[in-house]
Amino acid sequence: MKKAALLALALSLALTGCSPGLTIFSNYRHLEMIELVRTVTVDSSEDGVLVGIYGTAGEEQEARMYEKSGPSIGVTMNELTLRPLGREAILSHTENMLIGEDLAKTRLDEVLDYVERFSEMRLDTGLLIVRDGTARDLVFGLAGEETPASDVVAGLDQNIARLGRGYVFSCREIAASLAQNGCALVQCVRGEEEEKLFEKRGDLNLAPAGMAVMRPDAAVGFLDDRETLGTMLLLGRFRSCNLDIPVDDAVFTVSVDKIKPDIEPVFSEDGRLLRAEIRLRAEANLVCMDGLADVRSRDVRRQAEEALSQTLRSACEAAVRRGPALGLDFLDLGGILTRRAPLAMEDMGRPWEEVFPTLPVTVEVESVLMRTYDIIDPPEIGGREEGTPWEKLTDSLRDS
Amino acid sequence: MTRGRGAPAAPEIASDAAVSVAALEEVYRDCYDFESREVHIGGDVRRKARLCFIDGLVSGSDVAEQVIKPLTDPERFGAVTDAKSVIAMLLGGSVYVYTAKSRTKLGELAEDLLNGFCALIFDAERTAVTFEVKSQQRRSVEAPKEEKVVKGAKDAFVETMKVNTTLVRRKLRNAHLKIRQYKLGSRADTAAALIYIEGFTNEGIVAEAERRLSGIRTEGALTSSVIEENIVDNPRSPFPQVISTERTDKFCMNLLEGRVGILVDGLPLGFLAPGTFSQFMKVPEDHSGHFIVASALTLLRYFSVALTLLAPAFYVAVAMYHQEMIPTRLMQSMIEAKQQVPFPTAAEVIMMLLAFELLQEAGIRLPSPIGETVSIIGALIVGQSAVEASVVSPVVVVVIALAGIAGYTMPNQDMGSALRLCRFFLVLAAIGFGMFGVALGCALLLYHLSGLESFGVPYMTPFAGSEGRHLSRALLRHSMTDKKDREPELKTGDGGEAGL
Repeated sequence: MKKAALLALALSLALTGCSPGLTIFSNYRHLEMIELVRTVTVDSSEDGVLVGIYGTAGEEQEARMYEKSGPSIGVTMNELTLRPLGREAILSHTENMLIGEDLAKTRLDEVLDYVERFSEMRLDTGLLIVRDGTARDLVFGLAGEETPASDVVAGLDQNIARLGRGYVFSCREIAASLAQNGCALVQCVRGEEEEKLFEKRGDLNLAPAGMAVMRPDAAVGFLDDRETLGTMLLLGRFRSCNLDIPVDDAVFTVSVDKIKPDIEPVFSEDGRLLRAEIRLRAEANLVCMDGLADVRSRDVRRQAEEALSQTLRSACEAAVRRGPALGLDFLDLGGILTRRAPLAMEDMGRPWEEVFPTLPVTVEVESVLMRTYDIIDPPEIGGREEGTPWEKLTDSLRDS
Repeated sequence: MTRGRGAPAAPEIASDAAVSVAALEEVYRDCYDFESREVHIGGDVRRKARLCFIDGLVSGSDVAEQVIKPLTDPERFGAVTDAKSVIAMLLGGSVYVYTAKSRTKLGELAEDLLNGFCALIFDAERTAVTFEVKSQQRRSVEAPKEEKVVKGAKDAFVETMKVNTTLVRRKLRNAHLKIRQYKLGSRADTAAALIYIEGFTNEGIVAEAERRLSGIRTEGALTSSVIEENIVDNPRSPFPQVISTERTDKFCMNLLEGRVGILVDGLPLGFLAPGTFSQFMKVPEDHSGHFIVASALTLLRYFSVALTLLAPAFYVAVAMYHQEMIPTRLMQSMIEAKQQVPFPTAAEVIMMLLAFELLQEAGIRLPSPIGETVSIIGALIVGQSAVEASVVSPVVVVVIALAGIAGYTMPNQDMGSALRLCRFFLVLAAIGFGMFGVALGCALLLYHLSGLESFGVPYMTPFAGSEGRHLSRALLRHSMTDKKDREPELKTGDGGEAGL
């Protein structure tokens, strides 16, 4: 027993690989001396990079910001986290990393490399590109008297989902996509000057600005809002969003809650890949209505469903068209089709890179308006039937 | 009756009564409660015998009414002239005592006196007749104080072994229930009983229990530790290896499971062996309530073991070394609270653990009403006031309180104490090595527990050293309507299959 205990103790001392220092003791930090970094910014500067860390020492404490420029992210970050003002900044709680557009266009691989190599950084840290400005200025503009910039950035994830205008990919997802497809999508944001809802927030508001299609060392292009929506729909990253659709003289705001994409390859008899067929089924609910329309009417609902299908179809088609235009399969259609028909894809005779630019892609969307939330339009139990309750009632009266 | 090692050798009784009394008086020299008086048989002053007894151990009225009165009655003993006939009449029931024994050895005679007998010594015959006239001054059977249940029997063991064996016998009316008596202690001569069901309880376990009871080397078995530490396989382990209970129903249920029981005169407890870890997670109430509820509560107790052991150590490890494991919001609150506290996390936790132990110890030692007050005031002081005074962080108070409360759910106090001790070691390991230390401590703890055996049965059965299919028996309580298996390690005489 004693020998076993001593052996186990000795082995534990050898477990130093997870620690940056000689022993695990070097991981020790005084809790009260910790500066919790939640947002990191990286911009280009004359020296190389300008790194900023933004965090708090406690829930009630004001957010602190430290920045430093240096030749590389690693070197600068090391100097920056070395007890700013006597405190030790830890990066393990970093939620988002904002990088300026200039830096992203040339040095995205360096940013990802730092996140992957530095054990304290989490691989699921969200990465965002700041368009039309620097990340530093944006964060300074976001921070208010009682609103830390970190909270605003962290809240963006949910806002983007509700707006259907993007998805904050993590560093791990971006790095994996770069490794597999040679390109990756990165969420873009910009600061917008809007009317302050309350005085204690910053001067700027964080707004989504489409997505960037990135290579490791270059920004290939940027997707607008429509293309971004289509991309999210096809990638299955879509969570829920509100869309405005015109129906007669009114505008319906529908909440699209469920999207099921189905992408399938179609081959000729001799094994050639003829086209890719994309089918989408969307389920939506009516949230509100601007104008007058009889939401109980079967025709109005059909019009709404068709309008929604058209909106979603155009978004998907725009996203699909953008890939060949940029020369990058950022939707990973090749991967999806290979997973659907691995043998046929292997036997088609031509590499995917040759097929992809000219491959016809058809998009079909079926939309269903599930509920109107009208008081006499209760949810159907046991499956949806044709006609509103009012219509069914009048039909049955007519029949009788 | 079997005698433990170290008992005194019994000298032969002297040839005449006076000498016998002298020898007996030599044995009981300087014993103020030893009494000796002459009795005239049949009221005849020429026919004398010596009546000896130990005052307090015998009932005075019983001696007078049941022994002296008939013995001095001329109508009964007036016509009997020789001592042999008197002895024969006494052994034949001429006095009103239900137990009468003929003794020719001084040692046996001396022992009978200690067991509540009075002795009538006949010098001419070198013989004494002893009568059982025990004093009935004993604590009556009461409800259990430590192991309370709502739906269950309300009789607990008392200090008198004979009462305890009677309570067991009443519950298990079976001729195969064997009660073997032993004498423990070279000086105290404490009576102990080994109880088992013949033909059902594994013979190997019975033989091992016999061997260990006979091998006890002690001057007196006056405390439970004397028994436990002398019969367990690994006395240095802080974990209890025999089950001790004050409940007669629990004692009997375990006998029916195939365990052996040990009762000791003077201890209001019954010991059961073998004791396995899973048995310490069960309470008698499990068999009174619904089996689903009982199963859920059993699982809760296992969760409590993990909580009471690991909560402080885990907190220390993550707060000192692995801050990345704490959710951001919680981390912010912890940093905020910690900034006002002058002590490092390690000192905070150790201080709180010690304060918790002090409070507990004070609550136990003080009389009940004062103890409760001390606990309440202590909790207020250590908890609220300490936080307000920024001596400790609120999170530390929460963690220690949580661990403490979880520890109180242990059905067995010895198990609870062992876990508390291990909690300290795990905290120290966490202070030194963070999460590695906690993992290492847990590994060593499991290593220790897995290596323990109780009377040849692995301590961690059915978790270790057993088949996996018996796991549910340890973790859950099966319905009484289901046919169930006994613990296979107990190797009972019925093949391990319990009847309905």
